[in-house]
Amino acid sequence: MKARIILLLLLALCVVVAAQPAQPEDLDWSPVVYPLQRLPLIFSHQKHLARGAECTACHPNALSSQSAVDNLLPTELQCRACHPIDRSDPAKRATPTAACTSCHPNWTAGSVVQQTYLTPPPLKFAHAQHAQTKCETCHPVRGVDLATTKQLPTMASCITCHKDGDEERHCTDCHLAKLGGLMETQFEQGRLVPGRDGLGDQHGPGFTNNHTQEARQAGNTCNACHDRSECIDCHNGVVKPADFHPGNYLALHVVDAKRGKDCSACHREESFCVACHERSGVGTRAASQFNEIDPSKRFHPIGWASPNAGPNLHAQEARRNINTCASCHREEDCLTCHSAQPGSAHASPHPVGWRGSSRCRAMDRGNRRMCLRCHITQDELGCDWSKH
Amino acid sequence: MSRGACTAVALAVALAPVPAHAYEFWLRAQTIGQAYQLRDYQLVGPDLFLGRRRVTQTLALRITDVGDLAAARRLARLPEHGLRISWQSYIRIDHDFGDYTTGSITLAGPLRRDAIDVIPELADSVAGLDLMYGYLQLDGLADDRLMLQIGRVLADDGWGTTGIDGGSARYQVPEVPLAVGATAGLRVRASSPLGVTSYELDGTSGAGCQEYVEGPTPGTGSWQLIDRNRMITNSSLSSDYEYCPQRDVNQPTVGITLATSHTKHFGAEVGYRRTWSDTVGLIGPVNRLTNPDLGLYPNDYGQAPATGIDEERLYARAHADWRLGELAIEPYGDARYSILHAAFDRADAGVRLRTREHVLEPAVEYYYPTFDGDSIFNAFSIEPTTDVRLGYRYGDKGAWRATADAWLRRYAHEDATTSFAGGGDAGIQRVLGAGWRGGVDALADTGYGGRRIGGTAQAMWRGSEQVWLRGRMIVLAVAEDPTSTVLAGHYVTTSANFSTTWRVADTVALHFIAEGDHDAIHAIQTRAIAVVDLAFLPEP
Repeated sequence: MKARIILLLLLALCVVVAAQPAQPEDLDWSPVVYPLQRLPLIFSHQKHLARGAECTACHPNALSSQSAVDNLLPTELQCRACHPIDRSDPAKRATPTAACTSCHPNWTAGSVVQQTYLTPPPLKFAHAQHAQTKCETCHPVRGVDLATTKQLPTMASCITCHKDGDEERHCTDCHLAKLGGLMETQFEQGRLVPGRDGLGDQHGPGFTNNHTQEARQAGNTCNACHDRSECIDCHNGVVKPADFHPGNYLALHVVDAKRGKDCSACHREESFCVACHERSGVGTRAASQFNEIDPSKRFHPIGWASPNAGPNLHAQEARRNINTCASCHREEDCLTCHSAQPGSAHASPHPVGWRGSSRCRAMDRGNRRMCLRCHITQDELGCDWSKH
Repeated sequence: MSRGACTAVALAVALAPVPAHAYEFWLRAQTIGQAYQLRDYQLVGPDLFLGRRRVTQTLALRITDVGDLAAARRLARLPEHGLRISWQSYIRIDHDFGDYTTGSITLAGPLRRDAIDVIPELADSVAGLDLMYGYLQLDGLADDRLMLQIGRVLADDGWGTTGIDGGSARYQVPEVPLAVGATAGLRVRASSPLGVTSYELDGTSGAGCQEYVEGPTPGTGSWQLIDRNRMITNSSLSSDYEYCPQRDVNQPTVGITLATSHTKHFGAEVGYRRTWSDTVGLIGPVNRLTNPDLGLYPNDYGQAPATGIDEERLYARAHADWRLGELAIEPYGDARYSILHAAFDRADAGVRLRTREHVLEPAVEYYYPTFDGDSIFNAFSIEPTTDVRLGYRYGDKGAWRATADAWLRRYAHEDATTSFAGGGDAGIQRVLGAGWRGGVDALADTGYGGRRIGGTAQAMWRGSEQVWLRGRMIVLAVAEDPTSTVLAGHYVTTSANFSTTWRVADTVALHFIAEGDHDAIHAIQTRAIAVVDLAFLPEP
């Protein structure tokens, strides 16, 4: 057994050690942040850098750029600094190369040169603010020919320096904000949703109904995009969310409720359930036509709450899911039998070993008001008394 | 100084030119009208239907950068830093004027009373002006390390949100990846100004409140309903008869959290929260009742505590996010310990395994019900449940999407026996082209509680950027567990749901939802909802 446990622990350790942050993958670049690129070019960053070219030689505006919408691609003017391009001689032989087709593939004389096109990313970014940072820190172009989206920084790489970037209040330092400070998420190219950015909030199928863990995470960033009122509209709203509660859930909820499904994230038994049950005629007040004394009008089976007249099933049901009881019955119904007061059946509702237990002492210490509902006299209070 | 001089100074101050500040604000407003039916169960004859007619208006408001304090940095495209002041609030006006709340009930006699008098809990829905939250937020204090919120703030322990009238603070500890949070104030109750019922702790009866009426000798008295009949209020918004003073007292609340901050691929938080309330004493003159009345709670010997704890909990949660090649491994664990009950009441642990299009999530969850410290249910024998779950999700961006879940719940009984319930569901969705999307789901479960089997088929059509249509059909066979009610039976329930969204303008939309339900026991019932959405954001 011990060997098995050690083996499992070692296996877990291996997984943890192996599962370190890896190199970025395709999914790490959001197509909404970095949309369509059209680069009908032949170009090698690798070769240019190997020959000692400086980044700013071709991208001279980068150091002063204040906005992500600035076009920092080199124009023919920058190329001409080294390449003796001559438009009147498209096939010019020279070193470095000067023929049009050297850079513009498939171009033929007389045709229009295909334009290079980069959609500006919906980000706030000023290269000028990053002038002290080496270009290759964010743009690893040394080993590639044509730079594509993959040579643009991912969010995970941004927050290696901008450590505050994982806080929801700093999301709009880089992302566009709409009025009110929430992040803008709707763009022509799609909707911006959390991706594999290391924040653990990736949305996917079924996320609407299953986001407990994301919402619970320390430092979650939900409210960067979602106003808190959106949470309340579902969790505390006035309209039944149809995706969560299907049609005729009123008839279906019986099974869920009895099983002890926790409804407390949105509903409170003592107001929501009781009010509806009472009004629907399945409560315990005079408005109900049910009558446990008249056999023809019973709600619960015979002997439900009587150890003398039947199996006393209510004890088992109450232990399994007292919330079901509480959705119809108020405390005074229980106190009819479960009380130490005169006139009561003196049936103890406490679990085995209650007296003297740590739970009894904790509750007596914390809130004796609860105890006083059943135990009135001084000698009955506390957790050490015994009934004579 | 004369009155005239004072007036002149006041006018001068009021009319003096001051720089104008433009605040950025954002509004989200909805007007929701609902008409639907609820069954009034009848033992003799067909069920009656109670109408609910609800009109609800909501208004979410955000005002950012009050005073333009961050304008200079914003114009210079610098990250936010320094003091920023903002306001966030959400207010809701809700009115239910159907038979459900405003009708009357025939009691034995026959005596007719307003439904709200017989069922005081209905007061929660008859009319409400609820401030769900509303706070002034100060960011960027103490070198951008301190954030303050003042007003009706929200606090969350991972298993639910509550409101607190007071304030909260969050401080980023220097040089250490930790943030300390603190909250203090009065817990929002139904009786709070612009109070919200759903923020209350659950467990103490919302009505049927009783007081202890002493007998001839100490300890021989009895608990009796606090009858407001002796002090008629004749209110149409609350019960004229029942009165519940313990539910009106203030509940001071304090909380503190310690959370990781700026830690990559790992996060954790531990927290503590305590809510308490004073014990209500005399609710009227000593001679109000026949016998001596020494207070709401019996207090002949001073045995009633001056205060009682309503909630005292510790909680902890942790999660991680690691990569193993293309596989993302996201383990998590959460636990909550109730100091009041000396017991763990909630815990779960699981791991989300994610590849490009597939997500697999095994998890285990523990649940032990606990209640407001005033509730006697806390002292009852309660058995915990443990769930084992396995979830699967497929498809994030493609044409196909699929989900599947399986679960098994174990009930651990006091006599060391166990019983189970379990089931599963699966669904598949497909983008069909030309604006169409369709899907089917199936569900089956059995064991303690009953048995259900059935499925759903749905179709959505996005005809244009202005019009959306959606329809759904559900058929389920239900066999309720016969152990607890004589009503339990077998039946088939069907439901058809149709909804449409008409986008009137860029952010303005009208939604209409209609639902018809049928089952063999209760015949047919209908529901209609109309929503005017003034901050419409279309689904992708």
